[in-house]
Amino acid sequence: MSELLKGNFKVRNPVAAEERRPPESLAETQRKRALASIGGSMVYVERTPLNWDGDGDGRKTG
Amino acid sequence: MAKILIVNPVIREEDVPKHIPYGLSLLASIAIAKGHLVQIYDANAWRKGFGVLEQAARADDWDVIAIGGLTTSYGFIKKAVHIFRECAPRAFVIAGGGFLSSMPLEIMGWIPHIDLGIIGEAFVTWPEVLAMLDRGERDFSKTQGVCWRGADGAPHLNEVRPNIKDLDVLPYPAWDLLPLEEVYFPKGSQLYFSEESYTAKRRIDINGSLGCGLICKFCWHLGTTGEMIVEPNEQGVNDVRFTYGRNIRWHSPKYIVGMVKELIRKYQVDFVSFIDENMMTMNAASRGLWLPELCELWIQEGLQPECRRKGVPHDENCRTGVHWSGTSHATLAKKPILDAMFKAGCSHLVYGIESFDPYILKHLGKGTTQKSNVEAVQTCLDSGVRPIPNIIIGFPDESFDSIRTTLTHMVTCGIHSKPHFATPYPGSEWYYTYKNSIIEQYGGELEQFILSLGDASSPTVSISRNFSAMDLLGLQQIMSKRDFRLLDQAEKHWKRTRREDVPLAVPQESFNIIPRKVNAPMEDVARAI
Repeated sequence: MSELLKGNFKVRNPVAAEERRPPESLAETQRKRALASIGGSMVYVERTPLNWDGDGDGRKTG
Repeated sequence: MAKILIVNPVIREEDVPKHIPYGLSLLASIAIAKGHLVQIYDANAWRKGFGVLEQAARADDWDVIAIGGLTTSYGFIKKAVHIFRECAPRAFVIAGGGFLSSMPLEIMGWIPHIDLGIIGEAFVTWPEVLAMLDRGERDFSKTQGVCWRGADGAPHLNEVRPNIKDLDVLPYPAWDLLPLEEVYFPKGSQLYFSEESYTAKRRIDINGSLGCGLICKFCWHLGTTGEMIVEPNEQGVNDVRFTYGRNIRWHSPKYIVGMVKELIRKYQVDFVSFIDENMMTMNAASRGLWLPELCELWIQEGLQPECRRKGVPHDENCRTGVHWSGTSHATLAKKPILDAMFKAGCSHLVYGIESFDPYILKHLGKGTTQKSNVEAVQTCLDSGVRPIPNIIIGFPDESFDSIRTTLTHMVTCGIHSKPHFATPYPGSEWYYTYKNSIIEQYGGELEQFILSLGDASSPTVSISRNFSAMDLLGLQQIMSKRDFRLLDQAEKHWKRTRREDVPLAVPQESFNIIPRKVNAPMEDVARAI
C-alpha cells in the first residue's frame, strides 16, 4: 500500500492502513449489488419484520 | 512555518475518481514555496472512508487543516470538519472553494467548526493567512477575501480580494502530493468521449484559464472571474453579490506547453484534459490569438501526437505526443481554429449546447442560437474533433414544444444524450432568483437542498414553470430513448389533465444577484505569489 498522505515531510503517525472496519457480510454484499441493479424483474425485499396494523383484515367491505 | 494537512473531499462517489484536485494542489504548491510543511490526503482518490480520515487528522500535530471543493462535496466536508475538530482539536480549520464562496454566511452557520473561510480566489489570501497564523495572529478582521468569526462565533465577511492580474506567476500544482500512479492514472485515465481519450493510459487535468465572458443563468464562477463583490445586504451585513462583471485571464501558451512538457518528463502523460470553463471564450477575449499560438507552440515543442503528424486515424499504436481535450462554444468555434486544434492533437471538445429551442436559448445568456448550435456540431465533426454536446432539460420556460424541438435536432445531429436537469447551483443567477421556490420545495430546509446536489443527472429541485420532477424524469427517459410517440402521448395526457396553470417555481429579485456588469477588483500590476 502506498502512502495515503503525501507531502514534503514525514508525518509522526503514518496513515498507511486500510480503514479498520469489519469485513462485509455476504448478506450486505448481496444487498448492495441487488439494490444497484433494481429494475424490471430485479426486485429486492428488505428482511424487516412486517406486521399488519390496519383495520380488520384489509379486505374492502360495503 | 505551519504544518498543514489539505484534504480533498469525495465527490461523485458513483464514479471512479477522474479529476485531480487542481486548485488544492496548486495551493499546496504555493504553501510549499513559502516554506510550509504540507501533506495532502486525497479522500476522493482513495475512497477509504471516514475512519482513514480520522487517522489522517491524527497523523501529526497539525497547525492548519484545510478543505475545499464544489457545492456537491458539501455533505462530505461537513462530516470531515466535524472529524477534524474531534481528532485534531488544536488545528485551525480553513475552508474555501465554491461550496463556501457561493453562500459564506449560511455555510459558516451550518458548519460551526470552520475557523476561517477563504472566499473567491485564494492565491494571495491563502499564503497571507498562513503567514498570519505563523506569527500567532488570529485577528482576520482586516484581511481581504475571508469570512472570519467574531468572539460570539458569528461569521463576518470582509471585502473581496482582488483577482491576480497574471496567472503565469502561479507555480505548477504539487502533483507529487497526489496518488497519480496509485489511483488517477490506472483508474481515471480512460474517458469514453473519443478514441484518443478511450486509449489514454496516463491522462491528467490541466487548466489554461480562469473565467468565461458569458452570463449563462445556470452557471457560476464564485469569485474567480471578477464577478463577485461584497456589500452590506438589506440587514447591513456584508454578503456576496454576483454580477456580470468579468476579469478574464489565461495562461500564456509558453506556460501551458511548459507545464505539459514537465508532466511528460515527470509522469509520461499521454493525454491532458483542459478543465477550463470555456477555452473558446478565452480565445475570443484574446482576439483570436490564444488558441492558434497554443496549437503552434504545441507542435513546435514536439507535443503533436504521432497520428496527427502522420495524418492517419488514431489507434493504440499512436505512442508519441500528447492528445488533449477542452471546452468550446457553438458561436465562437470556427473551422480554422478547430482545424488547428485537431492538427495539434485535440480529440474532443465539450460544448454547452443545452437546448435547440430558440426561445430557451434566447433567455439563457449564452449567446447561441438554434442555427449556431446545429452548425457547431457539424463544423466540429468536419474538423476531425469530436463534439461532446451537453443537453439540459427543465429550463424555466421548458415546454413540450421545446423538448420536441431539442429532441428533433438531437436526432438530426446524431446526438445520443440522457439530458441533465436544469439545476440552480448556489452562485448561479437562477439559485438566487429561485431561492424561495427551492426553500419551499425542501420544506423550508435549504441545507437539505445543498446536501442533495450532485452532477445534475438526477432531479433535485424544479425551476420549470410547467414540469415537476416527475415530469422531467419521464421526459429525460423519453429523450434518451428518442421516443417521439411517447412524447406525443405524454403531451396529450398532460394537456388533458392539467387543470390550472400554477407555476412550480417563481423567479424573484435577489440582493445576491446584480444582473449587469459590475467588475470586481483586479490587481493593477502582476506580482509574484
